[in-house]
Amino acid sequence: MILSGHHKSSIIKFVISFGVFLAGTTVIFAQSQSGGADVDYREFPFFGSRIAIWAVGELHLMYAAFVLAVPMFALLIEFIGYKTGDKRYDKLAHELTSLLSVSFSFTATLGAILTFMLMILYPRFTSYLISIFDKTFWPYGLLFFAEAGFLYSYYYGWGKFSPRVHLLLGLGLNIVGTAIMFIANAWLAFMTSPSGIDEAGNLVSTWDAVNNYIWMPINIHRVIANICFGGAIAAAYAGFKFLGAKTKEEKAHYDWMGYVGNFIAISALLPLPFAGYWLGSEIYAFRAQMGMVLMGGAFSWLFIIQAVLIGMLFLGANYYLWLGMERIEGAEKYKKFVKYLLATITVCFVVWATPHSLVATVEEARKMGGAHHPVLGILGVMSAKNTAVNIMILTTYISFLLYRRGNKVATVSWAPLGHSAQFLIFAITIIFVIAIGVIGYFVEATVRIGLSVPQVISVLFAMTSVTIIDIFLFRNARIVGQIKWGEIPARAQYMLFFLAVTFTWLMGLMGYVRSGLRLHWHVYEVMKDTSVDAYTPTLGFASTVVSCIVIIFFVFIMFNFWLTGLLHKKDWEPNT
Amino acid sequence: MVPQKETHPPESAEVRENMSSAEMVVVGEKISIGKGTCFLCHTMGSHGSRAPDLAGIGGRAAERIEGYSDIDYLAESLFEPGAYIVEGYNPIMTPAHKAPISLTQPEVLAVIAYLQSLGGSPTVTMKTNLKYSADPSATATPAPTLVVSNDEASASYDNLSGDELFNKYACMACHSLTDPVQLLGPSLYDVGDRLSRAEILESIIDPDAVVTEGFVKGVMSATLQGAGFDEDITPQQLRTLVEFLSQKKGS
Repeated sequence: MILSGHHKSSIIKFVISFGVFLAGTTVIFAQSQSGGADVDYREFPFFGSRIAIWAVGELHLMYAAFVLAVPMFALLIEFIGYKTGDKRYDKLAHELTSLLSVSFSFTATLGAILTFMLMILYPRFTSYLISIFDKTFWPYGLLFFAEAGFLYSYYYGWGKFSPRVHLLLGLGLNIVGTAIMFIANAWLAFMTSPSGIDEAGNLVSTWDAVNNYIWMPINIHRVIANICFGGAIAAAYAGFKFLGAKTKEEKAHYDWMGYVGNFIAISALLPLPFAGYWLGSEIYAFRAQMGMVLMGGAFSWLFIIQAVLIGMLFLGANYYLWLGMERIEGAEKYKKFVKYLLATITVCFVVWATPHSLVATVEEARKMGGAHHPVLGILGVMSAKNTAVNIMILTTYISFLLYRRGNKVATVSWAPLGHSAQFLIFAITIIFVIAIGVIGYFVEATVRIGLSVPQVISVLFAMTSVTIIDIFLFRNARIVGQIKWGEIPARAQYMLFFLAVTFTWLMGLMGYVRSGLRLHWHVYEVMKDTSVDAYTPTLGFASTVVSCIVIIFFVFIMFNFWLTGLLHKKDWEPNT
Repeated sequence: MVPQKETHPPESAEVRENMSSAEMVVVGEKISIGKGTCFLCHTMGSHGSRAPDLAGIGGRAAERIEGYSDIDYLAESLFEPGAYIVEGYNPIMTPAHKAPISLTQPEVLAVIAYLQSLGGSPTVTMKTNLKYSADPSATATPAPTLVVSNDEASASYDNLSGDELFNKYACMACHSLTDPVQLLGPSLYDVGDRLSRAEILESIIDPDAVVTEGFVKGVMSATLQGAGFDEDITPQQLRTLVEFLSQKKGS
């Protein structure tokens, strides 16, 4: 078999990555067998060990999220193309997959560097983690090998196999990738909610150590968040290509790609807060004190920052949709609703971002009668915030619904009834969500905590039932205009960049919270952090570090995209 | 404007064996605010949404459970917080003597004195025998061995030589360093030849992992637990001890 230069370089990249991984694993085992626990900590020059691990770990996670998420929706898009026969979907899925090749190498390399740094800088902790999870390293390595096999055969086998075989390769890639993430999640989840060990910290059951309190919530949260993040990055890539496109066809293609990427990101964003609630409640259930630290202690202000960022995401995503409606003939009739949607999201955003306790001078606090503002303080509690975020989710969903039906008119005989049913479902759900929020002010904390569940279920029910009705309602709908792909303002593309950066920033900040809430413990209640970094830094310092990591990530990923773009460049020829 | 504050690990308050009640109250308050992290959930003088208000607890404690004195109730609340739950609250508290709080017995006594002082008069002393004990040797639930003690007293022994540490922790009671004779435990006179540093370390921190043939599993771990070895030993001392033993080559 003769391989092209491109194939050869990819195989070399894989061999190097896998070699680095194997070498790292081998050294870890050697380290654990020969006195790795002699030294507790070593210092990383200039930045210190914590920042070094923080940066490399976060970059690895960002890359891993991208590499795991893109195959999920690439497979789905390919499947849609296979079922509908529309070649555009197949082309889009192929282009998305092309972004993975270089990114996969970066993910593996960053993972190997992270492993080396852990065993060099934190040998006692690493040895302990190895003593708990050594059995999981072998399947992890084998799965990593399998993922590389699936990934490269999926990418390079595009159009070379029958569609069903190719889809199966994609399915294998996704199953293996998800399994890898689940294993790695067990390690970090164990650090927060250790189980499967005795009181002395010795391993009793590997499975129990894996299946710890927050393992599954982290798994689910990460799968959804990865899709969100991957979609946003792919959309930003499309936006970048759109701005540089020379032809109408190119603009149309990348406009559509940006729309699909954003659709994926926002579709995943809608259920993400619910997965976050579950994770938070499991943390609280494991150790209530940890839950206090998370939501009411050292990190509570980071959740205000998170609220601001998520509010901006919702605003940005809706704005992109409203701009997108301008390229849909027939969608003009829905323009009048935009101002109401904007007002609703803005109000919800403000409520969600309202802090419970205000930073005030002594004089200001005296005037307010405490740290809580007499009016705004009412909004800074979970009853108001949960209500606001649920309505914000519903409003964004309504934007999607309007976009979706922009150029369509329902022709089914029961159309008026269908529209009324959808309206009724929205109205009842909004009233129910607000009513539950108000009730939350008048009940004990034990009852209030549980009230978020009916709110979440009602919103999920509304979105699901309205979507089902909508599918049947607009079956064989009359098309009253065309979607003019490529005819979207440039500012919509900048909005895609904004969304991608915000998603990444949010991921970095929340990753810091998830890790930082252990405070001065490497493994909560089992192994104390006795290093010089055994303290929680200021929020300003933490957010500066995260911001720097985000910038580095985008420099790296742009370099990756540039490398991917070389594939389509003409071969260099000497000027003779 | 977002608050900018570093959160450092809680510092242990100085607890002396001969403290007066007044001193215990002061120290107990310091522990409650710091290492005990009591006010992460409890309030003082306002309705607590997460955990009960502690204002006046010294006056209420004796009336909570029939047959319990205020000291009994407060001790149970600290050691077995799930045993009695104040109406309207969830059982969210972890035992104060276990990780992550890990109060010692004298610290618990000081905290009880402080709580008694809130609406009552402290009657607990440093010599009061509680129904419960934070001492790992007195309970069936020893503290995790991997929790490295930050105790200043232990850290002050960090400069001792390996030989001195061997004596300090009474290792010679069971192990010979000079001859290949077996006492209660195997001779260590040639341990540096037989075991790597990692294996020596493992034998100290997890003595039951590999037990020399002819010796009973569990004896050394029970002895170390009883002596509070795991609480006292510091990483520096462990390093010194391992280095010292690794030099024992049988000559």
